[in-house]
Amino acid sequence: MFAIAYTELIQLFRNRLLLVTSLIMPAVVSGFFIYRHDAFATLGSLGYIAAVVMFTIGAFGLYTTAVTTLAARRQNLFLKRLRSTAVSDRGILAGLLLPVTLLAVVQLTVVLTALATVAGGPSNVFLLVVAVLATVAMMVGLGLATAGMTNSPEHAQVTTLPISLGVIAVTSWVGLSGTEELTLLKRLLPGGSATELVLNAWNGGVAVSESLLLLAPTLSWVVVAVALAMRMFRWEPRR
Amino acid sequence: MTTTPVIEVENLNVRYGDFHAVKDLSFQVRRGELYALLGTNGAGKTSTLETIEGHRQATSGRVRVFGTSPGDRQAVRPRMGIMLQESGFSPDLTVRESVRLIGGLTRRTDDADRVLDVVGLTRKAGTLVGQLSGGEKRRLDFATAVYGTPELIFLDEPTTGLDIQSRDALWESVDRLRENGSTVVLTTHYLEEAQERADRIGLMHQGVFHREGTVAELTRTLPAVIRFSLPPDAPAVPLTVINHDGALHIETFDLQKDMFQLLGWAHDHGVELSDLSAGPTRLDDVFRAIDRTFNGG
Repeated sequence: MFAIAYTELIQLFRNRLLLVTSLIMPAVVSGFFIYRHDAFATLGSLGYIAAVVMFTIGAFGLYTTAVTTLAARRQNLFLKRLRSTAVSDRGILAGLLLPVTLLAVVQLTVVLTALATVAGGPSNVFLLVVAVLATVAMMVGLGLATAGMTNSPEHAQVTTLPISLGVIAVTSWVGLSGTEELTLLKRLLPGGSATELVLNAWNGGVAVSESLLLLAPTLSWVVVAVALAMRMFRWEPRR
Repeated sequence: MTTTPVIEVENLNVRYGDFHAVKDLSFQVRRGELYALLGTNGAGKTSTLETIEGHRQATSGRVRVFGTSPGDRQAVRPRMGIMLQESGFSPDLTVRESVRLIGGLTRRTDDADRVLDVVGLTRKAGTLVGQLSGGEKRRLDFATAVYGTPELIFLDEPTTGLDIQSRDALWESVDRLRENGSTVVLTTHYLEEAQERADRIGLMHQGVFHREGTVAELTRTLPAVIRFSLPPDAPAVPLTVINHDGALHIETFDLQKDMFQLLGWAHDHGVELSDLSAGPTRLDDVFRAIDRTFNGG
């Protein structure tokens, strides 16, 4: 698994286009949000900025890159090649997704640390870490599921749009309007409860036990995504 | 070569929806032999091969490799090298990185540079796979298949796209592997390669084994052919002649006797036999016979 992860990392850094879309673009967007934190905090809150940068990196740095990577490896039969070795299917997927996942976690750590340094830190770091990890798990799961219906890296530019834009929209909706109204709908949408969890972690004012209940919808999305992936994931291109 | 089976296939069926690709196929591959699985396009040989390799699930039937299921990768793959029909390498990795990665993941040990030397890719070791020619990619594929000298090697159309020198080098490598006891399963469209090298051949057509045996066993069922042309005013030939649009064929199970008779007749009547050729039955003749049987061609 680690040998696959190592070569994936090499390939990521050799592919300039992927490097820009997965690393640089989300970092630039996050940097903009941090730079204009006064304006965005006035619109919503610092927790809202944290949630937006988390989903920007989660959607474009992690989710889209994961789908693109899996589609590309399938299209050029690299997945089939890996399956001709002694590594299990789970080991192959873990190896392929580990680098992009770790990079996203590192990016999130750096960006959220920068936000905390510039604008003031979160009320509950533990809760924030839980929210970030749950979001990362959800985006990886959704990436696996979406890869099942994505034929090529080019096709990924289309198939990833609904979830990428959807989670950003949900984050802004929840972050700017709160969850006092349409509470159930906002929490059940992908990214909704994770956003609320980040808001609670950064802004404070809500009991930890109450906030942790928000993990359930996010982790449910992980289960749904993995179940979908198990049904839909293909190891070879359609003939 | 021993009679111990390395591969056992019993009543294998592979279906894709309504399409029955492989029908009740049964055969064994013995340790140390080179077994060629041949067939027309769509005969089901790739489905058969991929099921044995563990890439595909059988719809029904039993497949055993080294006495275990080919799906048990941890047990089977360290002993098995696979040269896929299509390349399947990442274009952003170098040749050496690809061999190290895929070779290493088979859990066999070897030196990537040694293997690259065997397949003549030493000078390309630092080149990105995306910059290789088709033939070089086939050689890279072969390199990963033979990494660590596996006991069983699958070669799926190994020489397609290779120039003649590369073909010869590949077969020399296969010969050395066989000297070390490796078993080889081959599919190819170059029938002369199978005719020259295979210990046994399975001929597939429309999902079933039409014939199986050594080259001699397969070809002895069909007559040899004497081919020639005659001037329009030539007298009748004293043998049964088939006219193929002016090209005459004599089919015979006793080539020497009938050739002697034909030449004697031509000499006695002063007739010139144009375009005269004769030879033993070849695998492609067996293929054509199968095609005629099924398609009336």
